[in-house]
Amino acid sequence: MRVRIFLFCVKLMVCAPGIANAHVSEQGFVLLLPTGIYTFAGVSVVALTVLALFALPPGAVRWLFTYRSVHAWKCPACRHVTSLLSFCFFAFLIYLGLFGSRNPLSNLMPLTFWTVGWVALVSLSGVFGNIWLWLNPWSGIYRLIGPQRPLMTLPQHLDLWPCLALLVGFAAFLLADIAPDDPTRLARFAAAYWAVTMLGVLVFGPNWLMQCEVGHAIFHAYARLALVRVQAPAGVGGPGWQVHQAGDYRLAGLFALLLLGVGSFDGINETFWWLGKIGVNPLEFPGRSAVVWPTLTGLIAAITALVAVFAGTVWLGMKMGGCGVKFTTAFSCLALSVLPIALVYHIAHYLTAFLVNIQYTVAALSDPFATGADWLGIQPFRVTTGFFNQIDSVRMIWLTQAGLVVLGHVWSVLLSHHIALTLFNSHRRAVLATLPLSLFMIAYTFLGLWLLAAPKGA
Amino acid sequence: MPKLMTSRRSLLKGAAAGGLLTASPLVARFASAQSSAPIKIGFQQHATGIGAAYGRWYGRTTDAAVKAINEAGGINGRPVEIIAEDDGTDPKRGAEVVEKFANQHGTDVAFGTLFSHVVYGSAPAAGEQKMPYFVVSEGHHVASGKLNRYTLQPGITDVKSQVQAMAPYVSENLGKKVTMIFPDFAFGHDHRDFFTAAIEAQGGEVLEHIAIPPTETSFTKYFPKIPRDTEVLYHVMVGPAVLTFVKELGEFFGPSSPEIFGFIDSLEAVDLSSPGLEFLEGTYFWEGNPRYAQADQTSFDKNFRAAVGVDENGASVSDPADVSTYAHMFGCWETLHVIKAGMEAADYQGPQDRQKLIEAVEAMSDMAESDAHPQGPKVFNGKTHQVFGKQYISRVEGGKLLRVHATSIEDTLYPDEVDYTTMTF
Repeated sequence: MRVRIFLFCVKLMVCAPGIANAHVSEQGFVLLLPTGIYTFAGVSVVALTVLALFALPPGAVRWLFTYRSVHAWKCPACRHVTSLLSFCFFAFLIYLGLFGSRNPLSNLMPLTFWTVGWVALVSLSGVFGNIWLWLNPWSGIYRLIGPQRPLMTLPQHLDLWPCLALLVGFAAFLLADIAPDDPTRLARFAAAYWAVTMLGVLVFGPNWLMQCEVGHAIFHAYARLALVRVQAPAGVGGPGWQVHQAGDYRLAGLFALLLLGVGSFDGINETFWWLGKIGVNPLEFPGRSAVVWPTLTGLIAAITALVAVFAGTVWLGMKMGGCGVKFTTAFSCLALSVLPIALVYHIAHYLTAFLVNIQYTVAALSDPFATGADWLGIQPFRVTTGFFNQIDSVRMIWLTQAGLVVLGHVWSVLLSHHIALTLFNSHRRAVLATLPLSLFMIAYTFLGLWLLAAPKGA
Repeated sequence: MPKLMTSRRSLLKGAAAGGLLTASPLVARFASAQSSAPIKIGFQQHATGIGAAYGRWYGRTTDAAVKAINEAGGINGRPVEIIAEDDGTDPKRGAEVVEKFANQHGTDVAFGTLFSHVVYGSAPAAGEQKMPYFVVSEGHHVASGKLNRYTLQPGITDVKSQVQAMAPYVSENLGKKVTMIFPDFAFGHDHRDFFTAAIEAQGGEVLEHIAIPPTETSFTKYFPKIPRDTEVLYHVMVGPAVLTFVKELGEFFGPSSPEIFGFIDSLEAVDLSSPGLEFLEGTYFWEGNPRYAQADQTSFDKNFRAAVGVDENGASVSDPADVSTYAHMFGCWETLHVIKAGMEAADYQGPQDRQKLIEAVEAMSDMAESDAHPQGPKVFNGKTHQVFGKQYISRVEGGKLLRVHATSIEDTLYPDEVDYTTMTF
């Protein structure tokens, strides 16, 4: 019985598939850190930012998000070339998934999908913009073999509903499937998704990618936070200047909220608190197969609760501000202000897993067929988790994560105020209308820092 | 039931020959095999999930053992190939993995499972698939008789023998009045039950059992329950709060504490010189295999460390901060060598010889300390499918663990609870 609950049996970082690598000492050291003081300081910073909004002149926040138009970089052929190259690499990954190493930590299929794609590239889109436009494995092929005009047109009222559903489905796969990092299983899922999407693009044209391809939706959402936008309308500005975009889908805000909901639950479901709620001994986690339904239920509940609470804050804010804007308009616009929080949660949550699994990725790149090759000349290469064994490095990692979380919330507070200024066209009304939202973000800062500090057992 | 052509005696002779074959560097690699096809060993690895950190070191040890075995000529002249499948540290997935080994990969045996709940979940599948299933989990589940004839644990001792073997040293050297602090669930209860019986058999007594709820992360409020006349505090706390437990225990007692004895499981792979663990100085730990190279280090331990890439402090040679799971991972090395010896004894040719392999392992008894068994000598009990071996007690001195006692194998023995050899295949 003992091994079941070794110290190490407490998984310390993430239970996301393919990116899971636990280390107890990191969590043990985190519990020794004065995280209560750190949390108080972090929440205070966000609260002070809210207070500062009352004192700041109206132009100050607008100035933060000003931008300058620049010439768009027009080279559609370049994107098609990179997309085709990406497709070739994708096909190689599918091959490796089906026929390569059975170990997900030495197979590039799950490592690329989860560690490079889901963790790293998604994070980088908040800095470098929508890199998925360059790396998706469909648009290049469509350019080569697709019809001149779409055979059919997607109905406008479809909006982003398919992407919303796919995001929930993806999160369910990420959090509740019992073996999402199994190379073969993942390769089959990825290949099936690619085929369905390719078919959709061929029939409905590139709009399919915008409305029915969840990768585009995720990257597009976070790319709104990038400083620079190279495609038309191109520009450079304060991070978040792109939040309002011409021709936005009505459900873009709801999609941003779902991203935050998924990210939040991905942290909550590992905590002692959650495991206690679903009747699981956190020191004796029985495996993902034992908690499939509680996880799915929790995921849906977390998303629903977040959307409901957010809607409540917007409604209350509109009452306080006396605004004449439609609720749905305010909700859709203001919901985009949570994107910085969702992005920093994503980065902070996966940072520790990334530090370990990127090492496995490098090792697998050097030996993609797991035959003992050393293409990169890195042998003897040994993956290490030594940085979790020392309190100084653990403190540095934790403070980096916490700093990101605080920064993201400050960013969101400012962004929501900026959006409110545009919506309500009055500094006073904007401050009042976003006050409940600001309080919500202060509370969310606490939640984020608590998640980082909380003992975990799944 | 297929008629078995190999007698126990011939199997034992074969095992001896196998040992010689392994030891000889002159044997041409893979030259004498009737088939040059590799022996496929399915490695049920905790690559992800709660066991991932252990899985990483089990993987490194497994790779090193296979490299050593292949360099010495493989098994029956055939190279060994490891097929690692991730079980996600999940029992349901574990069973699927065993079925994949049998039906998809065509492995000869399955090996390497660590976490007990995965063993419980997978063993029935191994029985159904008639797949020899060599676990490295330390659980008492094999010897308790709850599994089946296809499941064996020949490379690592079980928790019952480990715990009971501590009692003589504790009672004779640390004290007879013991207070136990343990997490309040099955793992802690095992320690409570096994050790309480063992210390009473030594004339000692447990003054107080202090059960800590598994979700607890602060422990100071429990310490006043420790009776004042406690001579030895026995702790087996686990989980992320274990460092907090140690820190608070140190703050509670200050310089005047009773003797303190624990299981290294609590701090496996944790650097003992970490800030906050100063209180551990002078306390005692059970170790399955001493993490720090001792003054009388055997050449076997030295070779084992070199092969796996572990330094004299039990850390990775490429990162001194990357402390290994040294107290347990030798089990993979030794189990693979047992599989080799068993296959050579049974003249294993393919899956049709799986039953012969199990009988060959059941026929094993003494395993001498050697490069194949660097942790120490062992005795395998073919009836219970469980190996027994020396246990070590170490004292923290200067932030390192200094071995102060090695138990005898006899200290670890207990009456058989099952005879798997009477079960049909």
